[in-house]
Amino acid sequence: MHRRTLLGLAALPLSLPARAQSLAPPDGPVVLTISGKVRLVNHRQGASFDMAMLERLPQHSFSTRTPWYAQARKFTGPLLREVLAAAGGHGSLLRAVALNDYRVDIPVEDVQRYDVLLARLLDDQPMPVRDKGPLFIIYPFEQHAALRSPRYFSRCAWQLKAIELL
Amino acid sequence: MNAEPLPPRAATDAAPQRLSPWLSVTGLLLLATLLAAAFVQARQHALLSQTVRAQDDYLVLHLYQVEIEYLRLREQLLRNLDAPSASALQLRYDIFVSRVALLGGDRARRLLETSDPAGTLLRQLDAFTRRADLYLGSPPRAALSPTAAQALMAEMQALEAPIHEVMLTASHRVADQVTERQARVRDHNRIGLALTVFLLAMVLLFAAIALRQMRALDQRRRRLAQLADQLRDARIEAEAASAAKSDFLADMSHELRTPLHGLMGMLSLVRDAPRHPAAGDWLATADHSAQHLLRLLDDILDLSKLESGALTLHPAPVHLATLLREVHALLQPAASAKGLALQVDADPQLPPCLLLDATRVRQVLYNLLANAVKFSESGAVLLHCHRVDDGQGGVPQLAFDVSDTGIGMDRATVAGLFRRFSRGDDPRARRQGGTGLGLAISRDLARLMGGEIAVRSSPGEGSVFSLRCPLTPVEGLPLAAGGATAPADARPLQVLVAEDHPVNRLYMAALLARLGHPATLVEDGQQALQALQARRDAGQPPFDVVLMDVHMPVLDGVAATRALRALPAPLGGTCVIALTADVFADTRQRCMDAGVDEVATKPMSLAALRALLAQRFGLQAEAPAAAHAPEAAPGLIDRATVHTVRDLMGPTQLPALYDGFFSQAEEAARRMREAMRDADPEALRRSAHTVKGAALNLGLTALAEAAALLNREAGTLAAAHLALAVQRFEETMAATRTLCAGEGLLA
Repeated sequence: MHRRTLLGLAALPLSLPARAQSLAPPDGPVVLTISGKVRLVNHRQGASFDMAMLERLPQHSFSTRTPWYAQARKFTGPLLREVLAAAGGHGSLLRAVALNDYRVDIPVEDVQRYDVLLARLLDDQPMPVRDKGPLFIIYPFEQHAALRSPRYFSRCAWQLKAIELL
Repeated sequence: MNAEPLPPRAATDAAPQRLSPWLSVTGLLLLATLLAAAFVQARQHALLSQTVRAQDDYLVLHLYQVEIEYLRLREQLLRNLDAPSASALQLRYDIFVSRVALLGGDRARRLLETSDPAGTLLRQLDAFTRRADLYLGSPPRAALSPTAAQALMAEMQALEAPIHEVMLTASHRVADQVTERQARVRDHNRIGLALTVFLLAMVLLFAAIALRQMRALDQRRRRLAQLADQLRDARIEAEAASAAKSDFLADMSHELRTPLHGLMGMLSLVRDAPRHPAAGDWLATADHSAQHLLRLLDDILDLSKLESGALTLHPAPVHLATLLREVHALLQPAASAKGLALQVDADPQLPPCLLLDATRVRQVLYNLLANAVKFSESGAVLLHCHRVDDGQGGVPQLAFDVSDTGIGMDRATVAGLFRRFSRGDDPRARRQGGTGLGLAISRDLARLMGGEIAVRSSPGEGSVFSLRCPLTPVEGLPLAAGGATAPADARPLQVLVAEDHPVNRLYMAALLARLGHPATLVEDGQQALQALQARRDAGQPPFDVVLMDVHMPVLDGVAATRALRALPAPLGGTCVIALTADVFADTRQRCMDAGVDEVATKPMSLAALRALLAQRFGLQAEAPAAAHAPEAAPGLIDRATVHTVRDLMGPTQLPALYDGFFSQAEEAARRMREAMRDADPEALRRSAHTVKGAALNLGLTALAEAAALLNREAGTLAAAHLALAVQRFEETMAATRTLCAGEGLLA
């Protein structure tokens, strides 16, 4: 477990220089703030993203069944590890914070190991706050049966507004 | 498991096969249990998966969040009553709506709608959202005025109690669900545990059965090995017995030849010099040898009967005193000859009548006493009869102790005394002339009676042999069978002899004459019956006894006896003694079944016949015989005629005359044989005729009769019967010649 974590940490700085040496400040309303162990900051609290910045990162999508919807739904957005990389984040744990101050700790290892999505579109539509928007952390449940457990469901934070890297 | 190959079933080894079905049953149970366990586990897995997917547990959390967001929204609204359009209020409202939406999910709705307050709350929340969306929806359709905010606030206040209520209800329900699920899991666990325990038991049972089967197989293998050992031992024993029998045969043939040689030697001496002064002694010696030979043969027969189990006892009420007297009488001459005192006594407290096979007891006692006499040079031989109790409440025993003052025996000799076929071990016994079988036979007989023979002896101090058998007293004794109580009249017995062979017939007649009993001779069973009836019809004294040959033409002894027994009393009750040369048990049984009183073995000695009649008709029956002069072979020759011839011819010419006749008769017999061979009855008849006349003239009645028969029947008899008649003629001729030689009629 620890070995994997160390490997994950070692991989992070290597991938960072290729991405972006600096982070441009957001133009629109800030939808996500990454604080804590981040190298690239554009804000006094850390790295801030507006929806356009997230949209510019490589987009991924998959359909999966979740406890929150009766049918399988399609989620689209950048991979969470790409978002962290864009902020030059490092650390072993990320704490996801939702609009209602819901908090959950996610090991960075999860992000390295699975293609965890920071979904911003549900069935290709932006998500309003009243429909769990604007951002939703989604694990690829269909790919890995092991993920279909309360532990991982609880890590799927919705109405996400901030990530704290510890 | 049960396919394990098993050797073919043996009657005694069914156990391993019986185990097999149990093994398969256990195996099947084991399989079923495993399947059940798998099923339970699958169910458990399904339950868990279902629980995870259902996410019912989260409903409570959602309700909490709804309540929290409700409170936050209300607080925000309260704070913004003056400037209600702030974006913070908008966010709080959106979050609140998203939380409420969670309650609208299918599963949550299903859970909540089961209770009235929840349904009402959902409807109230819907109504509130619809109204609030006017001002806070996206996009808002109207601006939120302070008045509208006040109204919304009032509506919100009304929601507080129901939200809290539903949250509590739901949390209780979910708690119930959790409890129920846990109970179900616990049930599953319990079933799983029971299955595991059962599985364990099955496995143990399975192992136990397998172990037992293995043990059974092992045991069987050991038993087979044991059996093989036993078979090997049995083979060795059989081989030893066979070798012993061969040795015994060699011994016996030697024993048989010795008296036979003696007999032949003595006879040749007599033949060469019939008038030698010692001829009488020679004949006595010959007779002694013949007796010995007969005894040997009797012993061998007894032994073979004992060995084959064919010898059966015939216990009958016996007068003990009589039995002892008989034994005393039998042995007295031998004892006297050696100058020994022979004393026989019985404990006076013994019952007078006992159930015993007198013949066999007598045989054993005779044997023991004869041995005692044989091995004692001086002193006395005692037979003491008394009762023995073992002191343990067992059956009381009758003991016959035979003690002597003889040479005694060492331990080794005693040990080998009863061993069969070991007669040659003791050279002294051989010298003493015993058969070496007497003791073995005696002991076997004793055991057959349910008793034993015990021996006490030491060298130089004499021996004590003790015959023991169960003591069975009986009340009284039937008169007919009694020796001592038999009528003391000395009348001669009327005897009917049915015997087809002329020589045997004449021999029996001679024996009976010696004993003083007049005999009537007939040739077959038919004639015997006729003779019996004729005598009754004529009012003459009835026959006392019929000596019946078993094998006879026309009507054999068995059939004749059966016919006789079918006759009305008193004729039907006539005593019948069957005579037979064969000693097979079934012949004896056949005779007994037909109603014969006694079966006697041929050849019959004078002593045997005397004993037989004595036993049947009392000791005194023979009394008048002693006085009688030996009337040799009545019927063979007519003494009156011979006397006349002797007078006529004078003693010097007489032998020539008879010699001449016998030469002619032999020549005639030879011619008869030739005539038979040539199937020429006329020639045969002629030859017979010549002999008939001469024989009649010389007083040779039997020979004349035989010749007359041939003369008369030559033309009518079948070849086989003719041959028999010729043979009879020859035998009669030989017998007559012997008699004539004895009478001094021949040269």
